[in-house]
Amino acid sequence: MIVGEQKPIKEILNMTAPHHRLLVLGCGTCVKTCFAGGEDEVAALASLLRLASRKDGRSLHIEEFTVERQCEDAFIAEAAEAVARNEAVLSLACGAGVQAVARRFPRFRVLPGVNTTFLGVLEHRGVFTEECSGCGDCQLALFGGVCPFSRCAKKLLNGPCGGSRNGKCEVHADTDCVWHLIIERFTALGRLNDLRTYVPPKNWQPSLSGGPRKLIREDHTL
Amino acid sequence: MSRTFRLFIFYCTRTLENEAEFLPAADPAVEVHAIPMACSSMVKDLFLLKALEAGADAVTVWVCPEGACRHGEGNLRARKRVQRVQSLLDEIDLYGCRLTLFHLGPGDRSSAIKILREISGDLAGLGENPAGIQKDRSKKQGTSNNTS
Repeated sequence: MIVGEQKPIKEILNMTAPHHRLLVLGCGTCVKTCFAGGEDEVAALASLLRLASRKDGRSLHIEEFTVERQCEDAFIAEAAEAVARNEAVLSLACGAGVQAVARRFPRFRVLPGVNTTFLGVLEHRGVFTEECSGCGDCQLALFGGVCPFSRCAKKLLNGPCGGSRNGKCEVHADTDCVWHLIIERFTALGRLNDLRTYVPPKNWQPSLSGGPRKLIREDHTL
Repeated sequence: MSRTFRLFIFYCTRTLENEAEFLPAADPAVEVHAIPMACSSMVKDLFLLKALEAGADAVTVWVCPEGACRHGEGNLRARKRVQRVQSLLDEIDLYGCRLTLFHLGPGDRSSAIKILREISGDLAGLGENPAGIQKDRSKKQGTSNNTS
């Protein structure tokens, strides 16, 4: 899922300061799971903004609304009436959701309330870790399903580096050494010999460095 | 002129069974709203913020002593949520100290009364919550001390 965290409240207050009618728009998918932009977070942020505006004697009317996904037009459309009643939208979606909402409502200011952080998994309650860089050329088959591109601090394709201690990374001591995990995985699969295969430098061409990417499924287009 | 403050108490019913155990001891200058919870883990950031929106000048959460939660970790979760809301309140200059958390043993009425007195004293220094609904209401009605 896409992992994000709410922006600091002071930044949100500065962004929203010029507006008197604000729609706080949540997204019920990824950012809900990471406690950044679901219905509960919309309600809590709206409450905090009301408290801040009242304390400062500022007139601010806040409406709350959450759609299933802000990155899909069919869901965004459900918010059209709520958007029309307000001057601006504070979107608690990831960056893709914010832009999709802005595209759908070109005459309204759409502000980001969340810092989109990474593609990750829920490691355990309240802890999310990055596991995918979206490089566009998945090589997980070479590494037993554990990604060194996104999870090794040195991005080593032919590891380990030799610096890990007790299975932990020497760069971030609280992080599992991904090469330790890869070796454990290969051991469990009985494929330790795969480590003898040299992995050539990665082709980064399909990555973001070449500009924004597009995926076209011809069978789904007309 | 004496001012009536408004205090919201979210309490785990494992600390005190009902509000009759502590309400009679409350300072008459403080209007107390007590909200019982089956476990303090039911406290959410939204409830605490809404209490302040509703005009609370202070909010306090009463939980079991650490290690004594019947559900294992309810009081630990409550403490973390309270800490988070305290820092948010500090960030908007509404003073995180308006929100407090206390550990109380089962039936510890004397500590509850002591805490109530402590909060009453603190409220005199803190003053009314400038963001509560009450402030808006008093502006509209042109009164200076409407606490009804």
